[in-house]
Amino acid sequence: MAEQQLPERQSPLEPEYHPGSHGNFEHGVDVILSETRPGSILQLAAWPGEEKRLIEIIRKVTGLALPDGAGGGVSNGTRAVFGFASGKFTVVDEAEGLAQAFAGSITPAIGTLTDLSHGRTAIRIAGPKAEWVMAKFFAIDFALPAFPLGAGRSTNHHDIFAQIQRSGADQFDIYVFRSFARSFWKALCHASEEVGYEVQ
Amino acid sequence: MSPRRTETGGRIDRLRTIRFTFDGAPYTGHAGDTLASALLASGVTLFGRSFKYHRPRGLLSAGVEEPNALVTVLRSEVREPNIPATMVEIYDGLVAVSQNRKPSLAWDIGAINQLGGKILSAGFYYKTFMGPVIGPLKGTRFWMFCEHFIRRAAGLGKAGTAHDPARYERMNAFCDVLVVGSGPAGLMAAKAAADQGARVILADLEAHFGGSANWSGETIDGMPAADWAQRVAAQLAGNDNVRLLPRTTVWGYYDGNTLAALERVTDHKEVAAKGEPRQRYWAIRAGTVVLATGSFERPLVFPGNDRPGVMLAHAAERYAVEYGVLPGQRVALFTNNDSAYRSAVALKKAGAAVVAIIDVRGDVSNEMRRLASDAEAELLAGHAVVATEGGKALTGLKVQRFDAMSGSLSGDERSIHADSLLMSGGWSPTIHLASQAGAKAEWDPARQAFLPPKPTQRWIGAGAFTGSFSTAQAIAEGRAAGLQAAGGTASSGPLPVVEAAPGDPDPAPVFEIRAKGKSFVDFQHDVTAEDVRLAHREGFVSVEHLKRYTTLGMATDQGKNSNVPGLAIMAEALGKPIPEVGTTRFRPPYTAVSIGSLAAERFGDLKPERLTPMHDWHIANGARMYSAGLWYRPMIYGLPGETVEQAYVREARATRDSAGIVDVSTLGKIAVQGPDAAEFLDRVYTNMFSTLAVGKARYGLMLREDGLAFDDGTTWRLGEQDFLMTTTTANAGKVMQHLEYFLDVIWPELKVTVTSVTDEWAGAAIGGPNARAILASCVTGTAVDNATLPFMGIVHGRIAGVPVMICRLSFSGEMAFEVYSGAGYGTRVWEALIEAGKPFGLVTYGLEALGTMRIEKGHVTGAEIDGRTTARDLHLDWMLSKKKPFIGSAMMDREGLIAPDRLELVGLIALDNRALNGGGHIVEELDEANPHDSLGHITACCYSPALGKYIALALVKGGKARHGTRAFVSDPLRNRFGPVEIVSNHFYDPDGSRMHG
Amino acid sequence: MLITCPYCGPRDVIEFTYQGDGNRERPQPASQDLDAWNAYVYDRLNPAGDHNEIWQHSGGCRAHLRVVRNTITHEILSTAFARGGHKSADNRAEGRS
Repeated sequence: MAEQQLPERQSPLEPEYHPGSHGNFEHGVDVILSETRPGSILQLAAWPGEEKRLIEIIRKVTGLALPDGAGGGVSNGTRAVFGFASGKFTVVDEAEGLAQAFAGSITPAIGTLTDLSHGRTAIRIAGPKAEWVMAKFFAIDFALPAFPLGAGRSTNHHDIFAQIQRSGADQFDIYVFRSFARSFWKALCHASEEVGYEVQ
Repeated sequence: MSPRRTETGGRIDRLRTIRFTFDGAPYTGHAGDTLASALLASGVTLFGRSFKYHRPRGLLSAGVEEPNALVTVLRSEVREPNIPATMVEIYDGLVAVSQNRKPSLAWDIGAINQLGGKILSAGFYYKTFMGPVIGPLKGTRFWMFCEHFIRRAAGLGKAGTAHDPARYERMNAFCDVLVVGSGPAGLMAAKAAADQGARVILADLEAHFGGSANWSGETIDGMPAADWAQRVAAQLAGNDNVRLLPRTTVWGYYDGNTLAALERVTDHKEVAAKGEPRQRYWAIRAGTVVLATGSFERPLVFPGNDRPGVMLAHAAERYAVEYGVLPGQRVALFTNNDSAYRSAVALKKAGAAVVAIIDVRGDVSNEMRRLASDAEAELLAGHAVVATEGGKALTGLKVQRFDAMSGSLSGDERSIHADSLLMSGGWSPTIHLASQAGAKAEWDPARQAFLPPKPTQRWIGAGAFTGSFSTAQAIAEGRAAGLQAAGGTASSGPLPVVEAAPGDPDPAPVFEIRAKGKSFVDFQHDVTAEDVRLAHREGFVSVEHLKRYTTLGMATDQGKNSNVPGLAIMAEALGKPIPEVGTTRFRPPYTAVSIGSLAAERFGDLKPERLTPMHDWHIANGARMYSAGLWYRPMIYGLPGETVEQAYVREARATRDSAGIVDVSTLGKIAVQGPDAAEFLDRVYTNMFSTLAVGKARYGLMLREDGLAFDDGTTWRLGEQDFLMTTTTANAGKVMQHLEYFLDVIWPELKVTVTSVTDEWAGAAIGGPNARAILASCVTGTAVDNATLPFMGIVHGRIAGVPVMICRLSFSGEMAFEVYSGAGYGTRVWEALIEAGKPFGLVTYGLEALGTMRIEKGHVTGAEIDGRTTARDLHLDWMLSKKKPFIGSAMMDREGLIAPDRLELVGLIALDNRALNGGGHIVEELDEANPHDSLGHITACCYSPALGKYIALALVKGGKARHGTRAFVSDPLRNRFGPVEIVSNHFYDPDGSRMHG
Repeated sequence: MLITCPYCGPRDVIEFTYQGDGNRERPQPASQDLDAWNAYVYDRLNPAGDHNEIWQHSGGCRAHLRVVRNTITHEILSTAFARGGHKSADNRAEGRS
């Protein structure tokens, strides 16, 4: 396909996205919320026994070396990768076009690539009370020893399925289905009022 | 200073005055007071009216177990009933009212029920309302007639109806060690575990940590116990590993060491901070739980034991020591054990006159005799209280000689003048959580109490909870439990040294003094000792039956006081020892839990909304939205003044005349990828997909394992090993789960990935005679003519500069195309199509027009694929491949599924030209008064602009064989009767010439 | 109740969907043995005690698990991927603690 500059994508959060400080912020803002709008969100899956080859391809294409173990992951500020299920990984890039970069290398013998760049919305929560606010939504342990830096988790908040990566000591990136994103965003803002939040 | 407030002592702040009202009258208290302590300090003795007899009741306790002093707290229009006054922390502006009284607490008309005491005895409801026939009202109908009046006379607080604006939240927590209870045992456990580096949560239902240390008057490590407790709590607060949860009741102990707790975050505050929840529901997953929940003091059962002024001994001690309030000036104590002697000394110290200690035991130890004389109290050993006197406050009591072995009274009654009678019937460990966790309590004959069972989950007990009633034992057990819970073993130096009054923890086995008059076992539900015996006489021998028949232990306090005395009286009646009678198992919640906290963040907003990429456009362009599952979809785009029917008829007609466009982004979309994808689809669908060419789509049908129809949709072959499956909106999740199940459990050898891509794509279906021309005018990079894009063909191109995928398929029956783009470009593509359609009069249409056109075409949806129909019933048997097995193929030909009298899909035309209703029945002969012999029912209906008639789809016995015959619709619920003609379900363009073009 | 997913670790039961009796054997796809199909589709064991069950971690990694659960105590005795070739939950638990 001939490369052609694509127009900007519409955010599902738009009417509910209000930059500035909100909630109980008079004594300071304890979390910062933002939509990171990555250009590429891919799901890569390896057939049983092919995981190591897929991890090697991910390293070659993105430069990110996945640590061993279930739910392991790593991010470098512009790109991120984490395991979210057995043999399955989410790979994220600030730039568009990551699917094309992978296209030739993931052969049918290794596994599959699914482009979810439009289908998932990336929401970031950062700040000293990020763990506290996240604990209101998800029944998983957000403490650093239990949820190490770079690691990923698949979980849900009622009907809203979420993949979560810890992208900093007090920062999480949450990937939700686009159609649920506005509802989740509203709930996240509501839950953050208690600690004071800023939308960036 | 109020008459009952002591000059010094307690943790109240005498410099801070708090103003509040109770039953409309203004009162003051101090910071640190509970509603109970503040009212008691103000001289209030009457706190409530009892459940059945409306007897005047005062404070029995000082804590969470309070059965009598239940109040309703009002915050603007919101009322919360049945809160123990002992658990309400006062704040400026608090408004509390008493309950179960009319017109006032002091003058209660319901008190007349006391005269009818015999009638309102055990099993009153059952006896009265199971049988009698009174005129036309029999049995339950009579009960329903009476219930209204009884509910008003008997009962607790009134629930509110006003909207509760407060916020409630749920919080998930994880820890290595959860310590429940912050008395000396709990504090030591938390500290020992935290010192080992464990993640610790310490929860206490009271506002202040310390438990009994706050009022025991004991000394720990040379300082007052209360100070020691504050020091340990402060140390814990400074530890990063520790989360302190005051005002937090752990109320449920569930499987997998999951515990539920309720934190009352702002109930004690005048106003909540912005965003601060009123209550927080904590779901705590704990590695190990230390249960240091203490024990409850038991009342004694004797005539008049419910009179205001009769109180548990330790409660009086608490009021005196912790709150600086004397429950009376002339105090008498009545006990079966040693603990009341310490209470006597404490009250004496606080300034009360202790007139007598009445002990059921004849042989009282020298140590206790010494304490009695320290309290300057007359000791009446081998005596019992047989009556109390007074109205809304105690004035005196009567005692008699008592033999603890035989339970017999003798000698003359002697009157004692007292304004407060403090009783102690021994102590029961608070084993509720351990019992919930799954094991049976064990009776300890020495302690005369149920002790916690051996753990079946990961918990360790400590302190009074285990029956170790001394503070020194609690401290030792607490530290050991904390160490063990944290996985440590090292002893950490000497234990804190406790100086405490002596005392034997074992009471005399005396629960009841049998004398004339009402002796209450369950104060809150007005169950007397005689009620228990009556139940036994009437044949109730099981403790579970006893509980339900007498309602013993069934009120909001769940028998925290009454459980053991009730069992003891039952055991005596049965002539059995208590362990053979057994005890009921405690169930969650330990205390009342607000429904708001359980709903938590879903309160007021039960479901998230699922929005399509074009949602905001629909709203901005006048769509009336319709919720379909979690999705929101346009129902109609109504013009001013249009009815729903006018709008959908206009939209459907315009589509068939020229062109219409509808948002189909909600259709389930699943990427099916991998070398075995085609093989997998062959097994999943009833028809073949391995033969489908790349760049083509095919309509597919899935069955369930039992052979019934499951779901349908088109699947597109985008690449050799890359399919895009679409499902119905409603079944997207179910189909996904179905596919995942077969790949994981049944055919793990297949190399296939399935991924939900519903949200990746925005979908717009554009149909009608001009649809192709509209597309041709805005699509670049591909032609859309019949050769390039035949029926069921797929092309890739661009609209408004963004990549789109176009498949020519039709649900409306017109020449139609589904245009898919990345969801982030959905609105952009949609708007470009609308713009391109303007010269052609393109209309947007909603679900109503969509449904109308599909009914005209006779297509099935979830209304027909209803879990009871087969492919044959729906005339889809042409899709059942005979060349391969597929899910459901083995079961679909069972006798019952191919029977000739099954309901089959047909079309209906209303011959009276009136609207039909979904759910209406079809009959051969109309009998409006006595509808019968249904042939089937209507599944979908509309006005058909194409036919100019009201039509419907229906499932009817005989189906095709009835085409061309006349029947009737019979819908008595909506009073709709009339003639219909049964026709083919393909009303419109049956040979498909319009969509094939 | 907590179920230890071999991939995700111990998770609350709300993340899981019960997918039925794990003792059922599906006949070969082409089998016409109606009794066998009938047993597979309709017969369920209902023991008071240890039970083989299929659960899907639907609110997590979405894998189907073979779970042995005691129906009286709710104790989960073991969990493993229904799809073979992956390590069991016990290994994972050791790795985590």
